[in-house]
Amino acid sequence: MSNEDFKPKIVVFACNWCTYAAVDLAGTSRMQYPANVRVIRVMCSGRVDPQFVLEAFHNGADGVIVAGCHPPTDCHYISGNIKALRRYTLFKRLLKSLGIEEERFRLEWISASEASKWVKVVNEMVETVKKLGPLKPKLEVVE
Amino acid sequence: MSEKPKVGWYWCASCGGCEESFVDLAERLLTVFDAVDIVFCPVAMDFKKEDVEKLPDGSITVTFINGGIRLEEHVEMVKLLRRKSKIVIAYGACSAWGGIPGLANLYDLDEVLSRKYFEVPSIDNPDKVVPCKITKVKLKEVDEEIELELPKALPALLPLDKVIEVDYYIPGCPPTPDVFWNALEALLKGELPPKGSVLGALNKSLCDECPLNETKPDKILLKDLKRPHEVIPEEGKCLLAQGLLCLGPVTRGGCGALCIKANMPCTGCFGPLDNIIDYGGKALSYIASIIDFEDEPDLNKVYDKIPDWVGILYRYYLPASKIGGKAGLKKSKIQDRVVEYG
Amino acid sequence: MAEEVRIGVYICHCGFNIAGTVDVKAVAEYAKTLPNVVVSRDYLFMCSEPGQDLIREDIKKYKLNRIVVAACSPSMHEPTFRSVLESAGLNKYLFEMANIREHCSWVHSDKELATEKAKDLVRMAVAKARLLEPLEEKEIETSRNILVVGGGVAGMRAALELAHYGFEVYLIEKSPTLGGKAALVGYVEDDVKGSEIVGKMIKLISKNPRIHVFTNSELVEFKGFPGNFIAKIRVNPRYVNEKCTLCGDCIPACPVEVSNEYEFGLDKRKAIFYPYKGAYPPYYVIDSKVCTFCGECVKTCKHNAIDLEMKPQYLDLRIGALIIAAGYDPYEPPKGEYNYGIHNNVITLFQLERLLDPNGPTKGNLIIGGKVPRRIVFIQCVGSRNTTPNSKPYCSRMCCLTAIRNAIRIKEMYPDTDVIILYKDIMTYASDERLYEEAGKRLVKFLKFEEPPKVTITEEGLYIDVYEYTIQDEVRIPTDLVVLSTGMVPRHDLNELIAVTRVSCGGDGFLRELHLKLAPVESPTKGVYLAGAVTGPKNIMESIRMGSAAAVKAMTLLSAGKVSIEPLTAVVNEEICSGCGVCVSVCPYEAISIKEMDGDRLAHVEEALCMGCGTCTAACPSGAMQQRGFKDTQIKAQVLAVFGGG
Repeated sequence: MSNEDFKPKIVVFACNWCTYAAVDLAGTSRMQYPANVRVIRVMCSGRVDPQFVLEAFHNGADGVIVAGCHPPTDCHYISGNIKALRRYTLFKRLLKSLGIEEERFRLEWISASEASKWVKVVNEMVETVKKLGPLKPKLEVVE
Repeated sequence: MSEKPKVGWYWCASCGGCEESFVDLAERLLTVFDAVDIVFCPVAMDFKKEDVEKLPDGSITVTFINGGIRLEEHVEMVKLLRRKSKIVIAYGACSAWGGIPGLANLYDLDEVLSRKYFEVPSIDNPDKVVPCKITKVKLKEVDEEIELELPKALPALLPLDKVIEVDYYIPGCPPTPDVFWNALEALLKGELPPKGSVLGALNKSLCDECPLNETKPDKILLKDLKRPHEVIPEEGKCLLAQGLLCLGPVTRGGCGALCIKANMPCTGCFGPLDNIIDYGGKALSYIASIIDFEDEPDLNKVYDKIPDWVGILYRYYLPASKIGGKAGLKKSKIQDRVVEYG
Repeated sequence: MAEEVRIGVYICHCGFNIAGTVDVKAVAEYAKTLPNVVVSRDYLFMCSEPGQDLIREDIKKYKLNRIVVAACSPSMHEPTFRSVLESAGLNKYLFEMANIREHCSWVHSDKELATEKAKDLVRMAVAKARLLEPLEEKEIETSRNILVVGGGVAGMRAALELAHYGFEVYLIEKSPTLGGKAALVGYVEDDVKGSEIVGKMIKLISKNPRIHVFTNSELVEFKGFPGNFIAKIRVNPRYVNEKCTLCGDCIPACPVEVSNEYEFGLDKRKAIFYPYKGAYPPYYVIDSKVCTFCGECVKTCKHNAIDLEMKPQYLDLRIGALIIAAGYDPYEPPKGEYNYGIHNNVITLFQLERLLDPNGPTKGNLIIGGKVPRRIVFIQCVGSRNTTPNSKPYCSRMCCLTAIRNAIRIKEMYPDTDVIILYKDIMTYASDERLYEEAGKRLVKFLKFEEPPKVTITEEGLYIDVYEYTIQDEVRIPTDLVVLSTGMVPRHDLNELIAVTRVSCGGDGFLRELHLKLAPVESPTKGVYLAGAVTGPKNIMESIRMGSAAAVKAMTLLSAGKVSIEPLTAVVNEEICSGCGVCVSVCPYEAISIKEMDGDRLAHVEEALCMGCGTCTAACPSGAMQQRGFKDTQIKAQVLAVFGGG
């Protein structure tokens, strides 16, 4: 597949209060960004079980973003973002050993007013993933 | 007289522990021998592949398969056994999820082979012999060249259900005699849960049967993680509460908390509970959630204490996990060579 | 057997907003191919009455039991469509929204890609909808007490409003007096000063038995849920009690002298002081940050009013709602900006207002260095509109008007003084435009700049260099006084309040309202409302109006005596739970505990305390804990649907 044809899919888990609202704001502000992202809304970044991220990669996500409110104090639920930080700090260590380039995953803090940060993160992610190419498929181990 | 159920037993990439657990049934073995006919069991009795081939399809009531799938030979055999058996059971952690040998999936097959045959300090292999598909050997004494054909290793180790349909799973590394016994009873009585279920164990985590559960504070937050060799844990007190990375909360119960009773934290050999998407991902989520720091540098200091997170979180589960390792991304060059020596 | 899932999918055109970029017909056709979708339509405006009727009719006709609407953001119309379901006899949580406007048509211009994405988003919503379950809202009794943080005009207005309708109000103020900034600066109308309004409000509050005022007090802890919050208040010691008669005998005795913040540093005050004439409560106060506790004041007090042994007191208040009206800080130019802080004749607008105030340090006489200035130059947009490197990007809204009002006033008082206003743009909106004209008539000169003017100090005095935009030329203006029209910035301690209340701030650092159109004065936390300049620059009247609005919102929440709780709460599967307690360890609300049930240790969720964040669900090692509406299976289905599965 040539780079031209490669349309990466980026799965985003966005908290309802900060990042989802920032994505909305990017919309109301008519900012333009690549159409490669699919946002899944959760109430809090603390809800985003690393299992979902693994599931996304397993199904062919070329990149995954988990995004929530800025630590330490912005979380609508006091400390859900801290729970996300704890999990994904460790998660990043695993990814590479599991055979996935670490750049394919990002943990981001995007507040409700940071529509431009959202756009920047998406642009960067799409660019990075396009450079990396599609997630390498596994060989058919058993024909 | 009604015919006794026919039972088969096959080993793939196995350490022998699973077979041992069968023997550990001790006097209960006699009951088993009374109740069933063993039609295939290469570890203990002399059967050949052709004995199985001769059996009508579906004539074996139940076949237990232990060990992971690493060789072409394993694939061939389990496919055959699948055809001949009504019920196939993945026996033990390796067969169910890949087990400890499955950690080899962190590496390409060639990395595994060259490590194993060339690099490990204990190896003495000046001729660089390595198992290859075709190996030509000159036998000097008779001045003859023979060609050896070995089953190829697969690019990655697979759990049984990635190769054939599996009806039930019996967890453990190895399964405990009790778990095996529970499963056998269910099988003999025909009281079987829906296909795909785990037999013989609980659908609650180990904490449920852990004798230390009552000593566990309701709330646990850890500032540090300790490895078993670093501390002598206080007896009779929840190991997690003492900072040991115990995987009991995320691991299926049913083993009787054997390790805990020996003052060792659970390493997860009974695998995940039903409905868990990825054992390691869940284990990570649980343990990271209770590390009591709020910024990356502090968290990393704690995470640095464990040198091999994949080995801890995916000790028995890597090949069944959502991502696996990098095994299977590249084709092997080493074993496709034609090697000549002698 | 489980009921058959029958999904209705509705694709909204939103006029051209969506249909202009997304091929809505193609998306609707596509949705028909998805499993369980019984009917799929597109319509001009789904949120309109006919659009809503469409759903209602289909629910009856096709026996639909799940509804997916692909339209705008759920923050916009999820409530609308949920009530449609309710009115059609369907549980309102059997609804899922696909955001194909904000997340798609408005941000992508390529029709093909946007349509493809819209299909994906619909497929994801259908995948989740398939697994939705009916949920029941719980009703909980609410408290009729309301806490108002901030004793400025916005907070006082809110308190008066609430008390009038029979609510008990706790009005807390961090400083030693009610009144806020409006007591010191600003006008309500041309000749009505803020202090006049403040005085009247304080009088009403002091007589109102339903308003409980705590000055020198801070909110230090805030937890619970809408209708039933627990607020911990720290009442810092005043060291002076109600026996104080304001005689002032203690003042000469006090050896500590510091800059007087109530005059914006124009004069000094003692460590024991009375903020200003009319301050409430009408007692002196000791500033513990500077007081040496030497005890000299105690010796002079004839009324036994001073008690240096006072300790902070803590109050735990059960309240139904919180109104945050914490106000703002004036922009303080860094030393050297326009030579502020270096030359005494460079002052801020706030200081000028104090100099012109009859109760100010000069009794209302504009005397600088012993004489009336012959020329005064205002520099506008100081600290605002990116004028200087330290400036905020926003317009502070009130500085133009305040500068012009003061210019007119100076012209009235000292007709011979030349008044020049250097401006970027003049923002005297609405009827205040009249004042701009009035100033012109009184020969106040307006010079426009684009690059910030330069203030230079010479031995002869000050002069200003400015490139005048209209005449396109350099102008040098010698002047006696430079007034920097400083704007408004977020309170320096706002982050502490944010940390306690978990409201969120926008990019400008002020608190953010949930939605300017749909949820004004509401914060993201239900039951917490915002009023006044804590949300951004406001003039006095705007703050007062917002105080009223916040009060009404709070009353609306509490007037029924009970609130319903969104049932997106955590629930334990007791068949699986082993009582490991990981959920207990991570719950930010202490809503989960381990309970002994028939010999088993099990997690127990106190539903009234659960706020529905789901962090316990993500942490639960056995999968026993699930968040309603965001179960593992539901989120997993969405993930799979991104790639066509689920």
